[in-house]
Amino acid sequence: MSASEDQSDVERVLLGDIAAFEGIVHRWQGPLINLAYRFCQDRGRAEELAQEAFLRCYRALRQWRRDAAFSTWLFALATNLYRTELRRIPPRTQSLDDIAEPADARVFDEGLEDRDRDLVVRRALVALPGKYREVLILFYFHDMDVAAAALSLGLPEGTIKARLFRGREILRSKLPQMLAAPRLKEA
Amino acid sequence: MKRRIGQDEDEIDRMLELLPEILPSAGFTSSVMNAIRLEAAAPPPIMFPWKRALPGLVAGAFALALVVVVTVVAVRSSQPITASSLSFSSFMSTFRVQERLEGAASWTFLALVVTFVSVKLSMRLAASQA
Repeated sequence: MSASEDQSDVERVLLGDIAAFEGIVHRWQGPLINLAYRFCQDRGRAEELAQEAFLRCYRALRQWRRDAAFSTWLFALATNLYRTELRRIPPRTQSLDDIAEPADARVFDEGLEDRDRDLVVRRALVALPGKYREVLILFYFHDMDVAAAALSLGLPEGTIKARLFRGREILRSKLPQMLAAPRLKEA
Repeated sequence: MKRRIGQDEDEIDRMLELLPEILPSAGFTSSVMNAIRLEAAAPPPIMFPWKRALPGLVAGAFALALVVVVTVVAVRSSQPITASSLSFSSFMSTFRVQERLEGAASWTFLALVVTFVSVKLSMRLAASQA
């Protein structure tokens, strides 16, 4: 993704060439939809959220200060929107506390298809308390970059690290049970 | 190789980092651009008519100041403030018997009328221009 392309397209849009915004949409639709999808685990809703993020981006384009990368500004805007919208209408989740303890603590990568495991991990992520979920989503979305996650969430890096640690702890305690659950049903 | 989640610190990182990605649906870009074009074509929001509202606002501020001044004058010209006169009932009874009450009420009424007329005039002017 080229920062100069973003800057050039933004300048053109601000001069009235609306078609130039299509370049921005082309470059960032994948990341914005996938970020939304990690928040809500619903493809349709993820696209709706991403579309709203692009619309807000268009409205607020003049507020982008060139001292930060366009992508940083865009992700912060989108993250803020996704968090607000998902607090308003939360995704359907099963609370982590409702997950029963399995009879034996099985290894989590034994016998489960990758697809099933991905599904379970995604569900576990969405079921986390909001403040940990947001940090984990942003951290892994930004290729484990604490600074980028902090910029997107508008939080200090120390807070990100603390929540990351706690979020991982919760996942570590719950994932083996969640991963074992489908096999127990089959048995 | 069997790994238990509590034994491998990197396992959660690995699983969360490799979450599958989805591709945007075919019509996503055009849908966004349609929304953007609609947004761009929408007329700009109507600005508040500050110039037209200014007389009404000034008159309102003047009326409010007048009410405050009249009230302060009326209270000061009543009994000197004592501990007993600070209660609401004693204040009201004192206030009621003051000769200046009529004058204060008249000024207050006049101020309210001026405010009402100013606001109505401003609204009518704004409506006729819209």
